[in-house]
Amino acid sequence: MSAGFWSMGGYARYVWPCFAFAGMILGWNLWSARRYRVAAQLRARRALEAADADRAAATVVAIPRTAGERA
Amino acid sequence: MWTWFYKLASPPYVYGTAAALAPWFLGLAAIAIGYGLVDGLVFAPPDYQQGDAFRIIYVHVPSAWLSLFAYVGMAVAAAIALIWRIKMGHAVAAASAPVGASFTLLALVTGSLWGRPMWGTFWAWDPRLTSELILLFLYVGVMSLRSAFEDPARGDRAAALLALVGLVNVPIIHFSVVWWNSLHQGATVARFGKPTMAPSMLWPLLSMALGFMLFYGAVLCMRLQGEILNRERQARWVAEAIKS
Repeated sequence: MSAGFWSMGGYARYVWPCFAFAGMILGWNLWSARRYRVAAQLRARRALEAADADRAAATVVAIPRTAGERA
Repeated sequence: MWTWFYKLASPPYVYGTAAALAPWFLGLAAIAIGYGLVDGLVFAPPDYQQGDAFRIIYVHVPSAWLSLFAYVGMAVAAAIALIWRIKMGHAVAAASAPVGASFTLLALVTGSLWGRPMWGTFWAWDPRLTSELILLFLYVGVMSLRSAFEDPARGDRAAALLALVGLVNVPIIHFSVVWWNSLHQGATVARFGKPTMAPSMLWPLLSMALGFMLFYGAVLCMRLQGEILNRERQARWVAEAIKS
């Protein structure tokens, strides 16, 4: 790339920060959306695991004792 | 009669559709933005008055259009949620707000950086600039209001009402350069009749605008997936969805 391109006709200090900031905004949006989705998936998975554990505990309590255990 | 409408707005359907669309939107956005950047920065000729400073248009105008588009999308989703009591409307509105706010900030910052060499100042209390700043405050207000209530349903309703009230600001932003004396230039592309830009400058602008819209679509889909999972955590279909 020529020096003329990077200098942007003397407006480089206005033009390039605009494009850099646009890149930051696009990058932030992508990163935060992915992070939000992954966090929600993780929370949903934990909630499901907790519900499964509760169900399993309830099943164990419901099993009747054997004759030997009663004695 | 409305059965199809409600089926279309069911959480599993919306979640699956968003998951399928997001990568397509993202890929197409990368192509459109890539083309717009190369064509706009390298091949488009400098403006006869503004020189190379005019190239800021390739991020400023798409972000400004997107800031309005995202707000209208958020308000429409809020209206659907309030009128038909479709909870996915609140989820779409919640997912749209941070994206719209970030692009409003981008429009303001790039406009400010463009204003310095052209107007001699970073900021003026001009109708267009002021109404765009109000748009940013509206976005922040909608997000804050949603999280201000302990009951999420009440927060959703309050945020939806504010989004609808704030919709009045959208035509004000668009027509501010017509209704009042403004430093900001008038419409050059979105106007009745022919755009006043040369095609060599217009095509990269349209490509960037399309790229930003597609990017918004991709990010909205990703956020919407998270939003739905947060709201439907206890639902049976979620177990299948997160396993796949």
